[in-house]
Amino acid sequence: MSPDCPEPSDRKVPKDSPESKAPFSPSSARAKAKGPIALAIGCLVFLLAPFILAGLKIQATPYILDLLSMVGLYALLALSLNVILGLGGMFHMGHAAFFAMGAYVTANLNLTYGWPILATLPAAALAAGLMALIVAFPVIHLRGDYLLIVTIGIVEIVKIALTNDIFGLTGGPNGLIGISRPTLFGYRLSRPQDFFYLIWIMVALTVILFHWLENSRFGRALKYIKEDAVAAEGMGVNATAYKLMAFVIGAAWAGMAGTIFASKMRTISPDSFTFGESVVMFTIVILGGSGNQKGVILGAFLVICLPELFRDFQDMRLLAYGAALVAMMIFRPQGLWPPKAVQYNLPSPYKEKYPREGSC
Amino acid sequence: MLILSLSSVTKTFGGLVAVAGVTFNVERGQIVGLIGPNGAGKTTIFNLITGSIKPDDGRIFFSGRSINGLKPHRVVSLGVARTFQTIRLFPKLTVLDNVLSGRHCRLNSGVIASFLRLPSQRQEEKLVLKRAMEELEFVGLAEAWSVPAGSLAHGDQRKLEIARALATEPKLLILDEPAGGMNDTETEFLAGLVREIRDRDITVTLIEHDMGFVMRVCQRILVMENGSLIAQGAPLEIQSDPKVIEAYLGQEED
Ligand SMILES: Nc1ncnc2c1ncn2[C@@H]1O[C@H](COP(=O)(O)OP(=O)(O)OP(=O)(O)O)[C@@H](O)[C@H]1O
Ligand SMILES: [Mg+2]
Repeated sequence: MSPDCPEPSDRKVPKDSPESKAPFSPSSARAKAKGPIALAIGCLVFLLAPFILAGLKIQATPYILDLLSMVGLYALLALSLNVILGLGGMFHMGHAAFFAMGAYVTANLNLTYGWPILATLPAAALAAGLMALIVAFPVIHLRGDYLLIVTIGIVEIVKIALTNDIFGLTGGPNGLIGISRPTLFGYRLSRPQDFFYLIWIMVALTVILFHWLENSRFGRALKYIKEDAVAAEGMGVNATAYKLMAFVIGAAWAGMAGTIFASKMRTISPDSFTFGESVVMFTIVILGGSGNQKGVILGAFLVICLPELFRDFQDMRLLAYGAALVAMMIFRPQGLWPPKAVQYNLPSPYKEKYPREGSC
Repeated sequence: MLILSLSSVTKTFGGLVAVAGVTFNVERGQIVGLIGPNGAGKTTIFNLITGSIKPDDGRIFFSGRSINGLKPHRVVSLGVARTFQTIRLFPKLTVLDNVLSGRHCRLNSGVIASFLRLPSQRQEEKLVLKRAMEELEFVGLAEAWSVPAGSLAHGDQRKLEIARALATEPKLLILDEPAGGMNDTETEFLAGLVREIRDRDITVTLIEHDMGFVMRVCQRILVMENGSLIAQGAPLEIQSDPKVIEAYLGQEED
């Protein structure tokens, strides 16, 4: 039992933040200032969790930290999937394939060539990105459910390849054993709190970079494609190229998550990269709020922590995910915490001349 | 100087010949109207020019360059922008976001610059907002910049489509029934707007069923019937052309 588990998510997601309101409702200046401050305090408390838990002498501290690291890892994966699914609107249910690519590249470079774990990060990203480019190129034009089926096929093929020890690089069904721990400035990361920090710092960096990416020419192009690909092309957006780029970026990120996973677990096997894992990532994005990074992180907490609370019903996990997805599609298709419309900060003199609708 | 030139362009859908060997030229700086009864093939002509469908036969030149078979986004970046007969905005995105979509092809920031928010990218973003607001002011929608495009009145959505198309910095602007669903005041405003667009050295080609509008605004009119061009000329010539009266005006009496 871990009563503390969902708590950080509650703190990170203050109910009175302006984002939780309707997309175009005016928010008073005070509420505007309160949201980010509450969020910052929540993040700070969360980052101090290892010390707080240790200070309170809670027995299950290593377990809780491990669980939170797992949440972070899935958040990383779901944030990368969000670029493809949430921003680009592409139904991609094979993300575990790119996760696997990263993990196995890291394991091989580390075990065979003795590369330090963190040095394998770029290689894992590159390999997963390249793989995405190759597998997505012929299918990127497919729409909705067709793409979904193809991507499920991809993750299945990858799993079979891993199980059959393809090129003698994957160790077959037993996988690869004895992967190193990461070292940072000579310090070997091995304790639960080490991985907690490594993973959540990566999550934070990811959120910032993807936030910038989203609010740029690139992110806008993906939004136009998601809304209406024909109109987007008619306005000069090369839809195929942008969809491919989104796929490659998302896959590269999943590859890096694979690196962290491999060195955290020290052993990887095909069982960790199944279709079921892809479903978990997909569920996190859809449940949390496809297109909103905060929603995706909330989704990671819910989808990873809740089953831990109900451990006795482990067998029902996939069933519960399925039921949750169906319920969301019917009652709240935009997710628990959907994105709000971007409101630009107009340059002068337009800012003064045309106040935002509803703000005066 | 010719800006657009079609020679013997043909397009069939299954057994149906939608465009049958159409040849015409558009002079730079003109406002040209394309009229004809429903199903004559007017929209198909526009779709062929903008690259959303490919001709079976014939050639299309823009500014002296063949644009046969180019993808729509390539045609846009060469300088041809369009609006749609059935409004095709991004309804959930804001009015400003819609205009920004038109700017896309004139911006340079790539993925890396966006990812790292490089200074060049930030500068470009600031300028693009200014440019987009200018287009919104031009069509009279600047005040509505922050609302979802789908919440605008029908006539305003048509204007927004024009602003979005203008944001691509076209040399040729193609309007498919821009006055469709507009009231008299809005149509009057639109007529002025189209002339102002021409004064910005943008050639305009438009499809319109509102004959009063076409006769007032266009300098030259092309008439289509059953996929073929049956007449072309100045408004007065067209009004007195027996073929046109029979094909087009005669049909209206039904
Ligand atoms: N994509 C398509 N597939 C099949 N048939 C089409 C397609 N597009 C147009 N057509 C057919 O081609 C013919 C010409 O259509 P088009 O849309 O060009 O007419 P139009 O002159 O624009 O008519 P309207 O004034 O009603 O808009 C019509 O008979 C139409 O049904
Ligand atoms: Mg038409």
